Amino acid sequence: MKKKLKDYFQISFFITLIIISSNFVIAKKNDTLNKDFDEITKMLRCMSCQNLNVYESDTDFSKQIKKEVFDQLKLNKSKEEIVDFMVERYGEYIVLKPRFDGKNLILWLSPFVLIISALLIIIGKMRKNS
Amino acid sequence: MKKIYPKLPLIFTVIIFGFLLYFLTQDKNPSNPPSALLNKQMPKFESNDLIDENYQISGEKFYGKKIIINFFASWCSPCKVEHPLLIEIANNHSDVLMIGVNHKDKKDDAMNFLESGNPYDQIALDKDGKIAMEFGVYGLPETFIINEKGIIVFAYVGPITNKIYEKKIKRLLSN
Repeated sequence: MKKKLKDYFQISFFITLIIISSNFVIAKKNDTLNKDFDEITKMLRCMSCQNLNVYESDTDFSKQIKKEVFDQLKLNKSKEEIVDFMVERYGEYIVLKPRFDGKNLILWLSPFVLIISALLIIIGKMRKNS
Repeated sequence: MKKIYPKLPLIFTVIIFGFLLYFLTQDKNPSNPPSALLNKQMPKFESNDLIDENYQISGEKFYGKKIIINFFASWCSPCKVEHPLLIEIANNHSDVLMIGVNHKDKKDDAMNFLESGNPYDQIALDKDGKIAMEFGVYGLPETFIINEKGIIVFAYVGPITNKIYEKKIKRLLSN
């Protein structure tokens, strides 16, 4: 009788342990999912609003995008894959901050080129004068 | 050759300003960006017809035909504004297939909306907004013209006006 009770205790202990750890894993996964969801929706522009991201907006468009982002995160798609999916359909305009890629290279590099060019012109002039 | 080195910074500056000036003078409205799908293949879609729900509409069935795809809904006021012009376009270009995409609407409301006239040959139901997402639609109405090869040659956000029809659409549909 005592041995049976001990077995019951051990089994219920292990079951409780499994339930607690699986809950912990689910909670952790949901945390990551929510964090990624917030990050992505903050990166995307609400195209039917003025200067608002999808995260802050509650328009029909933003609700649709939020649903799609959530669905794709649940399918284990990465942040890059989801943003690429959106850019493919809505264009670069949907990304609030222009991405550093081939198409936007001029946009990213032009300020630096302009500053360096200006400095070189000034140095050249100063050398000429001296 | 050595003489050109001191002038390089100036040349770079002029080139960059040239680029910026070119993009600034383009007829672009930053709040109404051009469709990302322009000059690309029409996205695949399948849906039931609004009027005959047993009839399956598939985008692939339209290859080889020139089509107009118009996203609309009964709750969208600008859609009501462009509706008479769409009827006129459908009458003027009977060889062109006009497909309506009824976006997140109630069937009865959509049917009432079409009582004043139906310019569409077929109407696809987009209850969950998935077709709109595939086409990158972000505001109703939106209109696309797709050529015989299935390429999107025109995309417009907002109600079609007579000016737009005369200036852009008429030529594309008549070619």
